[in-house]
Amino acid sequence: MKKQKAELLQGTLELLVLRLLRSGRFNGWDIMQRLQLVSGEVLSVTPGALYPALHRLEERELISATWGPSDNNRKAKFYELTAAGRKQLDAQRKEWERFSGAVALILRDA
Amino acid sequence: MLSRLKRRFRALFRKHQLEHELQEELRFHLERDVAQNIESGMNPEEAHYAALRSFGGVDQSKEECRDARGVRLIEDLGKDLRYGVRMLLKHKGFTIVAVLSLALGIGANTALFSVVDAVLLKTLPVAEPEALVLFEWQAGRAFRIGGMTGTSSVPTPPGTLGLSLFRYDVFEKMRHARDAAPDSPLSDFFAFAPIPEVSAVVGDQAEIINGQAVSGGYYAGLGVQPVLGRGITDEDDTAGAAPVVVLSHQFWQKRFAANPAVLGQQLKLNKLSFTIIGVTPPAFTGTSQVDYHPAVTVAVASEPLLQGERSNLGTANRPGVWWMNLMGRLKPGATSEQARDGLNGTFQAAALEVMSPPRKANEPARLEPKDYPHLITESGSRGMLDRRRRYTPTIYGLFIVVALVLLIACANVANLLLARAALRGPEICVRLTVGAGRRRLIRQLLTESVLLSGCGGAVGVLFAFWGKSALVTLADKNTGILPNELDLSLNWRVLMFTLAVSLLTGVLFGLAPAWRATSLDLATSLKQSRRTTGAVSRLSRGLIVAQVALSLLLLVGAGLFIRTLYNLQRVNLGFNQENLLLFRLQPQQGGYKDERLIEFYQQLLARLDYLPGVRAATFGKVPLIADDNWFNDFLLPGETEQTAERHETMRQTVRENYFATMEIPLLRGRSFTAQDDRHAPQVAIVNQSFARKFFHNDDVLGKHVTDSGDREVEIVGIVADTKYRSQREELKPLLYTPWQQEGEMIGEMSFALRTTDEPTALVTAVHRAVRELDSNLPVTEVSTQTARAQATLGKERLSARLLSFFGGLALLLAAVGLSGVLAYSLAQRTNEIGIRMALGAQTANVLRLVIWQGMKLVVLGLAVGALGGYALKRLLASQYFASSEWQSQIAEQLYGVKGTDPATFAVIASLLTLVALVACWIPARRATKVDPLIALRYE
Repeated sequence: MKKQKAELLQGTLELLVLRLLRSGRFNGWDIMQRLQLVSGEVLSVTPGALYPALHRLEERELISATWGPSDNNRKAKFYELTAAGRKQLDAQRKEWERFSGAVALILRDA
Repeated sequence: MLSRLKRRFRALFRKHQLEHELQEELRFHLERDVAQNIESGMNPEEAHYAALRSFGGVDQSKEECRDARGVRLIEDLGKDLRYGVRMLLKHKGFTIVAVLSLALGIGANTALFSVVDAVLLKTLPVAEPEALVLFEWQAGRAFRIGGMTGTSSVPTPPGTLGLSLFRYDVFEKMRHARDAAPDSPLSDFFAFAPIPEVSAVVGDQAEIINGQAVSGGYYAGLGVQPVLGRGITDEDDTAGAAPVVVLSHQFWQKRFAANPAVLGQQLKLNKLSFTIIGVTPPAFTGTSQVDYHPAVTVAVASEPLLQGERSNLGTANRPGVWWMNLMGRLKPGATSEQARDGLNGTFQAAALEVMSPPRKANEPARLEPKDYPHLITESGSRGMLDRRRRYTPTIYGLFIVVALVLLIACANVANLLLARAALRGPEICVRLTVGAGRRRLIRQLLTESVLLSGCGGAVGVLFAFWGKSALVTLADKNTGILPNELDLSLNWRVLMFTLAVSLLTGVLFGLAPAWRATSLDLATSLKQSRRTTGAVSRLSRGLIVAQVALSLLLLVGAGLFIRTLYNLQRVNLGFNQENLLLFRLQPQQGGYKDERLIEFYQQLLARLDYLPGVRAATFGKVPLIADDNWFNDFLLPGETEQTAERHETMRQTVRENYFATMEIPLLRGRSFTAQDDRHAPQVAIVNQSFARKFFHNDDVLGKHVTDSGDREVEIVGIVADTKYRSQREELKPLLYTPWQQEGEMIGEMSFALRTTDEPTALVTAVHRAVRELDSNLPVTEVSTQTARAQATLGKERLSARLLSFFGGLALLLAAVGLSGVLAYSLAQRTNEIGIRMALGAQTANVLRLVIWQGMKLVVLGLAVGALGGYALKRLLASQYFASSEWQSQIAEQLYGVKGTDPATFAVIASLLTLVALVACWIPARRATKVDPLIALRYE
């Protein structure tokens, strides 16, 4: 039986990335691994979607990037949250909770 | 924000490094994936492909990452520009035609906008001009205010009053009221007024210059710092203060060679010495009307020294006149309404004190408060507004004309682009097929057209430079279309305007072709060859029709003005204008008055009478057909000031031989004689219109009328009507008096010498005759009567020339467009024409076919233009569109010809048809020259 994977809503990937980066400084591959780990196999995220999202967040100065050695001692690009990113995350999370709460409410009543 | 800018900068200029980093980042990810896959037991090759598969499109991902950099637009723009320049260089002929037509359109608009800027937009070069308020006043009833002098254009419906002029005593009361109020909204309050025609003697050279009188607070209130010396202060503006004068920078340079040692020197103005105390900055040309730049400025207190008996401040037995402009500077935060309300009470009281109530006939039972004079305020940031108001309709009219020319140029270039877009069909088709976005293509095509219009704008600025000097030359004193001494400069406002117009036109003419070019049906266009896409598109035909219609409008306008000019040049003036030499003297400014003035004139006339080549010498106060004017109120027999309504007549005062010299026929009664002097009974001669209007057909001779100033004159003769002010003006009542009986009014005189031969041969003799009597007296306005009459038609001539020029330009552009579109369509039909000719079609048949294809559009354009013109006329005549002031100005442009004159229309339409025929014939002729064999193999 094929597993149903949910398509990501626009902007949701960015929210997830922000949330992940709150717990530390990671490179792209790490983020990918964690995304798969955290969301189980429910959400479908490809690296092809992840990297543009990272670059967009960087352009908006919500995250910042530095080059450093990875755990296998190769040079890799590491991302971390900026102060603006932290604020954005809080705001978006509240928004998301309100939204999903409302949807859940409707779905339950209906 | 700063770091983002830095990143953008890096993205633009360190592109390679960024690309490298992106490459590294993604490779790192893939390598980790591969390593993981190998760990889970795949072989290296499998591991590699699995990693790539799970990544989901490496190249798309890279492209998206590049997009995220936020400089994609700029990068693309750079590419488009480079490509655009290459395309334009490749098609040089097309580029030159397009850039030139745009440059003409944009240049004309830029030149005219510099006029708009100078006349309507430019603020005074003073400290914070926005804080200046200009005072004017209105009254709901026609109070009698006594004398006034100056320019005023405050709107006055019939039976009301409105002036931008004030009496000095009224101003003084207002100034005291302001000084007494500690919380007045005005920090400064001052008055100024022109004193036109002051005679100045520098060295031994006499000349007539423009002067100005200002109150003591003028320079301080404006915040104008003289570049040399000081401005006029309150101490200078007190009775009995030593007379001082401030020079304009221009006058200082012209007459004193910019010598700083002028300070403290004496300058003789109207024979009186004034001490030079300062020179104003070069940019500051005064606050007066847009075309009045005073060379010398004196204090109001010195004005009686210059004007003597005729002082505007008034004398012991004559009240002052309304002549000064008032301005104030608002304190920070204060509004002009507060300034108006603060002074209104004082103004009303002071004004009512010096005004007489309206005449009985006009007076209502009771005056309402709104009928009393009250202040109004306008922005003072641009100086006086009256002349600016007057020029506005003409300038906007001209603007419509140049905007039409630009539209035609746009249509032209759009058409050329459409033709080229069709030729580029295959290229665009291939680009679309390999996946170029349509928006991206439109953007690139638009870049090309904006590039074109940008070049057009740049060349247009050059054209504007020339056009500007042409405008300044055309705008001489006599045209009245534009202010003289106009200071036109290509400042940043003008250049911004040009830039905006260029960009706008680029998008305007580029959008439609770009849209069309990219809306190809890929499947069919790839299959089709060029030979079947021969028809000229509907859009392209529409543009030709529009061009023809617009050209027709402009050319009909030109035709109407040429007819007007022709008619006016043939108007019967009522006197013989051949062989008349004119000049003007103002001896009263040299100190002549009363007996001495009369004696001076008599001596001069005696000399002129006996100059060789002079048949007769005479003078009158007002030169004829010179846009000069003198009129006043008078009373008919039995009327008094209190009962009478206003009767107005034109005035003239002349030497006794005036009618004989000018060859104006005497119809009844007698002419003036040398015995009609100051001691003889006061007499007058009237023209036919006067007799007809005021005395119907009664016998006028022997009737007494009361001239202004309670002077009763007996009418002793009737002369034939003449044109007075201009060729255009209708015949009006005119009252002549003998010059020696005018008392105070004789001052300056306009001489007329009837010569036996060419009048200009006598100019040196006249100068010598005047110099022999007084070497310090300038002889001005030397001209022949025919030249003067021509100069008075300057406005009409300028209109006719400008419209002919722009109409011709429009016609040329339309012809080029028509020719180009036909040539393009024929190039595509080469094949078809070859077949026709191979099958035996005659050259004439083919010619007719092609020419008819073009002429259909021309005929349609003529029809559209005619309808459009009619609609435009209706629109202009409707009250909703234009104010009545505008309408009267529009209406008085034409003379002896109607706006819908069928003859003019017919002539212009045939001219246009003829030009269009030639424009069609040239490409058609070339098409028939093609060898059928070559034509068939074509493509």
